[in-house]
Amino acid sequence: MLTRRNAFKAAAGLAATATVGVSQGALAADKSIKVGLNMSFTGADAESATRVANGAILAFDDANATNAIKGYKFEYVKFDDGTATAGQYDPAQAATNAKKMVSDKGFVAALGPQMSGAGKAMAPILSEGNLAIITPSSTNPDITNPKFAAQYRPAGKAIYFRTVATDAFQGPNMANFMAKTLKIKSVYILDDSGAYGVGLADAFQGQIEKLGVKVLGRDRLDPKAADYASVLTKIKALAPDAMYYGGVGQAGVKLAKQSYEIIPNVIKAGGDGVYSTDLLKGAGFPAVDGWYATQASPHVTEDKSAEVFTTRFFQRFGTHPDDYAVTCYTGAQVIIQAAKNLVAAGKEPTRDAMQAAIQTVSLKGSLIGTVEFDENGDMKNKVISVFQIKKDTTKALDDTEGQYKYIGVAPMA
Amino acid sequence: MTAGDLFLQQAINGLSLGAMYSLLALGFTLVYGIMELINFSHFNVFMVGAMIAMLTLQAFGLHGQETILTGLPLIGVLLVAFIVAMTVCGFIGVAIERFLLRPLRSVKGPAAMITTIGVSYILFNVVLLTIGTDSKNFPNPLPPITWEIGGAVLRLREILIWVIALVLMGGLTYFVTYTKLGKAMRATAQDPEAARMMGVEVDQVVMSAFFLGSALAGASGMIFGLYYNLAKVDIGFASGLRAFTAAVLGGIGNVPGAMLGGVLIGLIESASGQLVGTAWSDVVIFGILVLVLVFRPAGLLGRLAPNKS
Repeated sequence: MLTRRNAFKAAAGLAATATVGVSQGALAADKSIKVGLNMSFTGADAESATRVANGAILAFDDANATNAIKGYKFEYVKFDDGTATAGQYDPAQAATNAKKMVSDKGFVAALGPQMSGAGKAMAPILSEGNLAIITPSSTNPDITNPKFAAQYRPAGKAIYFRTVATDAFQGPNMANFMAKTLKIKSVYILDDSGAYGVGLADAFQGQIEKLGVKVLGRDRLDPKAADYASVLTKIKALAPDAMYYGGVGQAGVKLAKQSYEIIPNVIKAGGDGVYSTDLLKGAGFPAVDGWYATQASPHVTEDKSAEVFTTRFFQRFGTHPDDYAVTCYTGAQVIIQAAKNLVAAGKEPTRDAMQAAIQTVSLKGSLIGTVEFDENGDMKNKVISVFQIKKDTTKALDDTEGQYKYIGVAPMA
Repeated sequence: MTAGDLFLQQAINGLSLGAMYSLLALGFTLVYGIMELINFSHFNVFMVGAMIAMLTLQAFGLHGQETILTGLPLIGVLLVAFIVAMTVCGFIGVAIERFLLRPLRSVKGPAAMITTIGVSYILFNVVLLTIGTDSKNFPNPLPPITWEIGGAVLRLREILIWVIALVLMGGLTYFVTYTKLGKAMRATAQDPEAARMMGVEVDQVVMSAFFLGSALAGASGMIFGLYYNLAKVDIGFASGLRAFTAAVLGGIGNVPGAMLGGVLIGLIESASGQLVGTAWSDVVIFGILVLVLVFRPAGLLGRLAPNKS
């Protein structure tokens, strides 16, 4: 097992080889397998970005320390798709990052992005460069939907792989949960006008209408505006049983605050965009109490099988992993496994070879079960977990693991 | 909720927004009236005001919405936070004027305006680097007292906001109308050259305009925090742009015009959220602005300025 000290030694060793490599050419140094980590390190999602990226870092450092592939070392380079002006991920920056990775032949695979809006900007560029990327958390279904292949993978091959399910399941499964378990009869739907939010709200709406729940209205929030009181007052007058919000923290924090004051007794729910530290910190209790959220992955961080992982993650980084740190860890494992398969077959892990190897990989016994991809890059195994915020004063009030209580798996649509 | 209740509730929402926009619009109008300068740094002076108010309240040990105060402690804490936010912002305004804009005063063209945009970004980035980009939970010690008027709900917070806005606007109106410095400001606004010849200290007048405008932005920032229980580095642009629109709608350079414009924009925003959808608020607001300017190019209460060149 890799202890902290070993990891440090391994890192120091890696740094030493790198220095030698610079001064004496590539003599004797292991060949490097370069992987880009594209996350939103700036802005509202900075904290979760670091946490998610750390999942990958743990996996690659393990592989390097244990010499998982003889003659090769993994090297990861961070790319930030968040900008201060956007206050969150910026699609333009994501596209720039994708271009940087594609233009450097050294990059043979990538992890990220966290956000679907960034994914939509990156996918076509990565497709042209045939650079496979594995996203730990972006759930907009369009990117891997064959209907939009011309837009998101113009070169044809699947390059956008996921270790999460998509909103094509996240929205509808939650609709099932709300109609069948919470037994709501009417709902008002909001989105935050982002790619992720609109897609999620659309998917939710389609299913909830099928289930015979009355949709009293649908509205779009401007994430930069401060005031949602007028739309919430409108919702109050319609008196729905529930409100469903498709979107991320930027509008979500303000929505949680204001809806607590204007419509305190309405059931409030969202997707994985309202599963965040930002919501707990920015909106805080009592406003966030009772909100439902989902994650497009099995909930394993409280599971016995993940105990070793969560302990090591905490020892190394000082924070608890969330489920998307797990999916990112798994994504990195997929890349390691794919490279291993190639080298074992006597092939170089080039970019083209890696794309093919990831497409056909079968990673058994990972923290989220068996990982295999269909021809579009989606994971074959799809699970949506439901959570509810319940104040737990024994844990830190901004710790997602402590405050989001696992309710169960949402019924398949 | 009946249609009447709904109308009343949206009017309450709109008036609270309007109070905030009015205070902020006054800063644009004071500076424009005297210098014919659109001061874009005002956007983020407002944001800094919200942050200062938050830090002050936190210094009293208040975090989030869990600590509720009543009586004298409540009044004391709020008063101190308002005064600190207004004073700090006032001096930021003075510093901007003294060190960055005064050297450019004799320069013709857009140099001064571009400078204010630059200052706006500097303020933004200073807060970004020191306080961070995430949404901050603004402490709110107000007791959750509400009154039901039919189906509409009126909260203590809204009344407080209206009262504070009225007091500040009344004070400003008194100051501009009756005090010596206020008269000097109006004189400078009408004709700087003649005012100077009559012995008005133009430097002093400009500086007080910046101080007053920025202090009102600070108060507005505090009100924003109390109203939304939230402060964030990017709040300046959305609110600032609407307040600027309010100043133009009312007639930029005109003090009562800024107040009227603010209230109108608040009500329009609220109504469009109810009738059209929040994502369309900006379209509605700017659409109405364009319409008004077509028929009244100087704004609702403004008069076209005499040619000052």
